[in-house]
Amino acid sequence: MAPLARLDVSEYTNLNNVVRWLITLRWIAAAGVFLVLCGARIAYPSVFPLAVLFTLNAALALLNALFQIHFQAVKHGNLSKSELAVFFNVQICSDYLLLLLLLYFTGFVENPFAYFFVFHILLTAYIFSTGLVFLYVGGLVVVLAAGAAASYVHLIPHFPFFLGPQAAYLGELLPRTVGVCATLVISGYLGTSIRKRLEEKAQRVEVELDRYKSLDKIKSHFLLQVTHELRGPLAAVKGYHEMIDRGITGPVGSKTLETVGRATRRTDNLLTMIDEMIDYAYMQNDKISFEPANVNLHDLIASNIEALAPQALAKRIRFDVRCAPDLVVSASRDLGTIVLSNLLSNAVRYSPEGSSVTVSAVQESTEVCLEVKDHGIGMTPEEMEHIFEEFYRTRRAREMERDGTGLGLSIIKKAVETIGGRITVASQVDRGSTFHIYFPRREPGGQ
Amino acid sequence: MGNKVLIIDDDHDILETTGSILAYEGFEIHSADSVERGLELAGKISPDIVLLDIMFPESKTQGFDAARAIKARYPQLPIIVLTAINREYAFEFTKEDIKVEEFLNKPVRTKKLIELIRLHTGPDPV
Repeated sequence: MAPLARLDVSEYTNLNNVVRWLITLRWIAAAGVFLVLCGARIAYPSVFPLAVLFTLNAALALLNALFQIHFQAVKHGNLSKSELAVFFNVQICSDYLLLLLLLYFTGFVENPFAYFFVFHILLTAYIFSTGLVFLYVGGLVVVLAAGAAASYVHLIPHFPFFLGPQAAYLGELLPRTVGVCATLVISGYLGTSIRKRLEEKAQRVEVELDRYKSLDKIKSHFLLQVTHELRGPLAAVKGYHEMIDRGITGPVGSKTLETVGRATRRTDNLLTMIDEMIDYAYMQNDKISFEPANVNLHDLIASNIEALAPQALAKRIRFDVRCAPDLVVSASRDLGTIVLSNLLSNAVRYSPEGSSVTVSAVQESTEVCLEVKDHGIGMTPEEMEHIFEEFYRTRRAREMERDGTGLGLSIIKKAVETIGGRITVASQVDRGSTFHIYFPRREPGGQ
Repeated sequence: MGNKVLIIDDDHDILETTGSILAYEGFEIHSADSVERGLELAGKISPDIVLLDIMFPESKTQGFDAARAIKARYPQLPIIVLTAINREYAFEFTKEDIKVEEFLNKPVRTKKLIELIRLHTGPDPV
């Protein structure tokens, strides 16, 4: 076992950031010591060995500068864990040593700043394993006790902090030493146990998070499975409707045809909802890997309009397309289809019969802007704040189309963000809505 | 008589609806409710095109195995996959693309299906 290499910072802490933090703290400490010494020089010019103390202060600043240079020089501030362990130990040891020396020349345990060791111990407890923390605390207590004893028997000179009689200092030496040492041991204990509790809590959170993630995955997979399974029976239902509608099953009256037409319309709505749920589950799946490809926007618009033709025809909605045939965007065919199909399907569903939907795309400097403009029910500014939320549907949308999942726009937004684009919306109640999708432009040199 | 279309699907309702609608449109329809039966029929009747489902009770991807087997025996025979699962999701099972002429999601629009059958089989034989 190499105790010096046993770093025990929780995984959630970036050790390199801790080094930066330590160096910053040390600069503040060095500046603080300097100010205190300057004050002492004015207030008590002849009490302390100021030349020695300023030298120690300079040593602290110099060491910290060396630490900083070393840290920045090595791998641009990224050290391995074992290198960091050595680096931390060197820093912590030098901190203890310098404070010990500063105290020695300013009254030792008599100096109230002796309690500053608490900060060192808390930092040590933050960085190292419990064993190493108590090694540091134990070592410190031994040095302090030995120092106090040595000064008591005049083995080493005493630099007084208070200007009272020497006898008073000696009389108070034992309780002061015990007080400082007890404080240090208790802070070591508190520091390590609080850290342990925090780590246990963090571990529990991590376990819960893993559990939640796997549950979420199961949920998405389940949704995907179920919705796919629903498509099969629906295909059969639609097939039978079509057989009746075409007269394959025999002649039918107009009333029956109308009834079948209604059934078909509701079936189509159901299918749209299932497709939205499939898209939603697909977008939730963290396995989806987006590899940007060059997608012809004109073709994408055309194929999605074609897929919507029956619904558009039923409502006599006209598509007005303005897009250069060679306009290419950086996206993927799947995500592009998710965006276009959901956007156009919304436009058709929430537009009045006989109206038109304009789909236009223009190339801008760094992006391609796709505009889908309908003359539908529109939205209020309050509603527009919520439309990208999952399952949100406006009141007027629910009134106009009973069937709907409220997932369409949240799916579009997620797909657009995955592509690296953005979406904006402008709308007026009863005047219609205009969506702008900004696709990244294709990379020059791409195929 | 029109082009010969072999439909392989375990769902009898799909066989009936798709078969009836295509027969109404003038195609000669042969149906198989299992992959084994489909492969057997393919040898007997020499279809002009195969409409193939992917998910069968035996396995979720049996249709892909069937597509491979058909392409190995009759490389020129076009296949249109008709399935409820979308292509990306199907890849999660198979980890490889399947060389088929078309991949359509159920329910498919009849107009589109007929267009694609005509595209891959050419005009009806007289």
